[in-house]
Amino acid sequence: TEEEEKEKKEGRHDEDDGDERGSGGGGSRTMAAICDPTRWPHRIIVLSLMCFLGFGSYFCYDNPSALQQQVKQDMDLNTSSFMQLYAWYSWPNVVLCFLGGFLLDRVFGIRLGTIIFSLFVCVGQVIFAAGALFNAFWLMILGRFVFGIGGESLAVAQNTYAVNWFKGKGLNLVFGLQLSMARLGSTVNMNVMGLVYENIRGLRDGTGYTTLGITLMIAAATCVFSLICALVLGYLDRRAERILKKEVCSTGEVIKLTDVKDFPLSLWLIFIICVGYYVAIFPFIGLGQVFFIEKFNFSPVQASAINSIVYIISAPASPLLGFLVDKTGKNIIWVLMAVIITLASHMMLAFTFWNPWIAMCLLGVSYSLLACALWPMVAFVVPEHQLGTAYGFMQSIQNLGLALIAMAAGAILDSRGYLFLEVFFCACVCSEYSSGEGLVFPGGELNLSTSARARLQKDTLSHSE
Amino acid sequence: MEFNPGFNSSQTPPLSVNLLHVRARGENDTLHFLLCSQGAPALLVVHTNTSSSSVKVDWSRFLSDDVSGSVKVEPKGSVRYSSALVFSRLWEYDDVNDTADPAKLPPSSFFPPYELQNFTWGDLNRTTNQIAHRAKLCGSDGSERFFNGSFCLGFSAFESEGRDGSWPRLLYNANSSQLKFWLEGVKERSNFSRFLLELQYVGSSNLPSRVETLRSIDDEYTPSIFQVSQWVSSPPNATTPILGYVQWKPVAYRKATPALVDATPCRHSTPLLMEQLPPSGLVLAYFGKGYEASGLNMTFSIAGDPFYNTTHYLSWSMLVGLGSPPTESFSPLVITIMALGLGIPLLLILLGAICVCIQKQRSGPRGYVPIN
Repeated sequence: TEEEEKEKKEGRHDEDDGDERGSGGGGSRTMAAICDPTRWPHRIIVLSLMCFLGFGSYFCYDNPSALQQQVKQDMDLNTSSFMQLYAWYSWPNVVLCFLGGFLLDRVFGIRLGTIIFSLFVCVGQVIFAAGALFNAFWLMILGRFVFGIGGESLAVAQNTYAVNWFKGKGLNLVFGLQLSMARLGSTVNMNVMGLVYENIRGLRDGTGYTTLGITLMIAAATCVFSLICALVLGYLDRRAERILKKEVCSTGEVIKLTDVKDFPLSLWLIFIICVGYYVAIFPFIGLGQVFFIEKFNFSPVQASAINSIVYIISAPASPLLGFLVDKTGKNIIWVLMAVIITLASHMMLAFTFWNPWIAMCLLGVSYSLLACALWPMVAFVVPEHQLGTAYGFMQSIQNLGLALIAMAAGAILDSRGYLFLEVFFCACVCSEYSSGEGLVFPGGELNLSTSARARLQKDTLSHSE
Repeated sequence: MEFNPGFNSSQTPPLSVNLLHVRARGENDTLHFLLCSQGAPALLVVHTNTSSSSVKVDWSRFLSDDVSGSVKVEPKGSVRYSSALVFSRLWEYDDVNDTADPAKLPPSSFFPPYELQNFTWGDLNRTTNQIAHRAKLCGSDGSERFFNGSFCLGFSAFESEGRDGSWPRLLYNANSSQLKFWLEGVKERSNFSRFLLELQYVGSSNLPSRVETLRSIDDEYTPSIFQVSQWVSSPPNATTPILGYVQWKPVAYRKATPALVDATPCRHSTPLLMEQLPPSGLVLAYFGKGYEASGLNMTFSIAGDPFYNTTHYLSWSMLVGLGSPPTESFSPLVITIMALGLGIPLLLILLGAICVCIQKQRSGPRGYVPIN
């Protein structure tokens, strides 16, 4: 869900890149490079703080997935209650996608807002861990809910900081780096949490919910670290504002719910694709570990590794594929291709015993491809002043879909097993393929190549002149 | 279904001797299933090539010490194949290091086994359900460990193909019977107790038995289990059909109502040839020369799984049958979803292609003339 934010910002701010170039360039030259907000050494520090700002929340988001078996065993859960942990992360974001930007702009301001959201993430994770310590599942759910309130909004804040500091100075690269960092967080989590649990178990000489609680508390340390980053970043930002006398940054989001009635059909189809696609990826990753252990006889460590490959691949592939899509245009074709690849890999996982690394790598590539091709498409079908609403709506629907499908997936697994679950995911992907087909025909503009799109733009310009 | 066939009711009923006989008559063959608790509990399956074969028991000899030859299926020449599955021992071991691998444990961590031939068994007749073709055989060794506990076998025979309502939902047919073993409420001898079950399969000496494990992509009926194991006896020549089998999925459940959370894997050891036939009255009475037994151990749980004392329950089901074991196939629901899911997009692609073609044909000749 952070990609959309990035794409959104990129789309919107690239156009006025030139505006502020060199503003405040005349800051005091006597400062050391590392302290001077106008110079690169200082910016790099800020950049790394920004990257680590989201690390904690990405690390902890997939904690349940990395510890699926342990959580289910220690808390005595069935799969559908386990998936509640993901559903309750998504619920607050159905609303907050609209509110996050508003809260940052109007209520808290970016610095306070970031710190508050980081606090939510932190407190949420601590509550989550405490739930495990006290063997109270409802407390864990509450923790995930609080964590969810902070998580997605923190991504918005992170992007706003990035725009504010790096607009016109390699913003795309910064977004790319932040995304890679997010993926790194998820990957490290997938591969490390199991080992941490094992070590704690060794030390305590026994399993049980206390071990789980301690493990999750350790994971909370990453959130505390991110909170510290938020505090330092807030301080540096205020300092820079004082020195450079720059304007207060804002998310630039204008959300008007009444815009929804004006959304064209093609936008709704894009929404369906988005929901259909993401629900076939994230809940699967959430449930994947046991699948690889049971069906493919993987060891738990191998299973975590393969489960994180989607994230690992998307870190380097996103910028590359983004470049490819930018160069060629034809977004719908890319989207359809991504969908077909996803369908193929789900079918491979469902119906064959082929090495699952093939299917999971394909899934990783298609996931990155879809993210690159789908999100910018929104900008082609709605006027610019409705973009904020459209993206907010898209994220909201996506979160709603994730919450519902997460619970459905858990229930399906509990009663019907993995084959049926995979078939269900295939059906989801097929439905979005159908919507994708729907997009090809009505629209002229969506499927233009880049050159054709540029020509069209020139035409309209020359006409209006 | 009949109980203690041919037993004269005027005689005093012998304590804890149970012989349940189920006859499945086909058009030109008959299957006999005999469940008996004389000695170690055993299930004997016999396939005859006539529709009128019957079981004859010489009760005075069957209840004496010299049981050999006292159970017969007549006419003798009609017997095509017979085999028996015997539950001989229940082992309990102290898994302090939580390895769940008895092969790697020192002999000292094993407690003396429960010899099932020494158990006192309940009355099969009372637990038999003639309509559902089910019966339950429970026993205990009389010690305080079994004060609230029991070792039970649930037997079912079937008229047609189907599945049980509860997991592992093995696919059965009329040529098979299902045995469910469960161990409930037994007081464990250590806080780290795990169990393993010793099974013996008796068959003709010229039909060696082996366990084959098949992988399946379909876990719809037993979620998260992608394997089925079968202990088959077939001639070494691979092309000849399998004559009899014991089939199971490698999963046991830790609660009376099976759920995914309470599933625990089980593993079998390689079958070994036994020196003598197992101590079951039925087996000794029916099988003579030319038959031998092979045995294997079924281990429940893997490292890290909860020990027996967390739920005091363990259940595991298997099919014992004649002919080739049943093979799974996709359920109609899965096939329907796949057909719809794949069919609709394909249809759309076709429709789309046709639309595009028509559009091109119409607009083709006119061409596009730039205004500017």
